[in-house]
Amino acid sequence: MTNLATGVWYAIAADHDLVDGHVYRTVLGGHELAVWRAQSGTVQVWDDRCPHRGVRFSLGEVVGDDLRCQYHAWRFGPTGACTFIPAQPQMKVPGTIRARTWPVAQSGGLVWTGIDPAGPVPDLPPGTVARAIPIARPAAEVAAALVALEGLAPVVQPLDAGTTMVRAIATDGDVPRADRVLVALRRRLESAV
Amino acid sequence: MILYDAHHLPECYAVRLFAALVGAPLTLVPVDVYPGHEHRSDDFLARNPLGTLPVLVDGDTVWTDWQEMLAALALRHDAAWFPAHDPALIGWLGMARDLAASLGLARLIDTFGAPGDAAAARAHADVLLDEIERRRWFGERAGKVWVMPQAHPTIADVAVFVFIALCEDAGLSLRDRPALRRWIDRVRFAPGFIAMSGVFPPMANVTR
Repeated sequence: MTNLATGVWYAIAADHDLVDGHVYRTVLGGHELAVWRAQSGTVQVWDDRCPHRGVRFSLGEVVGDDLRCQYHAWRFGPTGACTFIPAQPQMKVPGTIRARTWPVAQSGGLVWTGIDPAGPVPDLPPGTVARAIPIARPAAEVAAALVALEGLAPVVQPLDAGTTMVRAIATDGDVPRADRVLVALRRRLESAV
Repeated sequence: MILYDAHHLPECYAVRLFAALVGAPLTLVPVDVYPGHEHRSDDFLARNPLGTLPVLVDGDTVWTDWQEMLAALALRHDAAWFPAHDPALIGWLGMARDLAASLGLARLIDTFGAPGDAAAARAHADVLLDEIERRRWFGERAGKVWVMPQAHPTIADVAVFVFIALCEDAGLSLRDRPALRRWIDRVRFAPGFIAMSGVFPPMANVTR
């Protein structure tokens, strides 16, 4: 968890990753995250951990405006507050039962979060969001290699100390080409150890 | 029809799952593969000399290939699942066999002490999962929600699902394979879906 700067916005998903009913799973600087879109349209980024028994939220489902945990079907609304406990249907749920929520911004077809992110989200040029490619190399090394790529506006998401997700805007809209370029970069970096 | 079945084998799960999806009734006969080695008994080898599971029996007809069983059940119950006119079906069923020999093997080595090289099997499975993820991602962009181009799910979805859904048993992860995770959910939410150990069912207490 050492490679995550505070005050920085990181892109951790694409808008198209968040489909109805589904909980997207990722990790940012060692923090496991569950990302989902409520029926109302708001996007949520939470710790991927139910406060009840610690099961990954990303094993669950989205039902309306709630995320429902796979383990005991507890439901949590967009503020992170638990809204319903099936085993105690008559009980008013204590306000202290909450999922840990992260800041969220949406921009350039991407979903952004971070630890106390400050200022506006980085402005990316127009284009099409390419497929995110994980590379088993540290973020600084990946970022250095990305500088040379034409037609791509990349951002990096440190997954953990040794793994990095590359997200990019294909500024010419040629997503298959962007994919080949990023996968080739992955091959090159991962074989040059 | 009678299915000679071992709960933990993906190939058996594929037949149970597909029968449930198309509403085909099966009579299950559990075979104690592990630790009983009942599939090496004279009785079982008389039924299937290959000693493999599952085995499907309908009167005098005996099937010993799990993919052939999927096709046979589809032809009998709902042929939309079996687009035999499309060569891509051969490719996807072959992909499922490659997953069996890599992901499936790594899982049997890790969880049931089967012999083999788990690291090599995992490395091969990683390559296959990366490629299926790539195809699924571009498929989604083109509006295709199943592995084949058809709007209807096919036996190819079932054949690769039963391995990919169990990949954590094999020490592999879908964390960085988001299109595969979305497709897994789509299969899980299909009407008639049934789970097995290691696969989460869609939640039953609330109507979707």
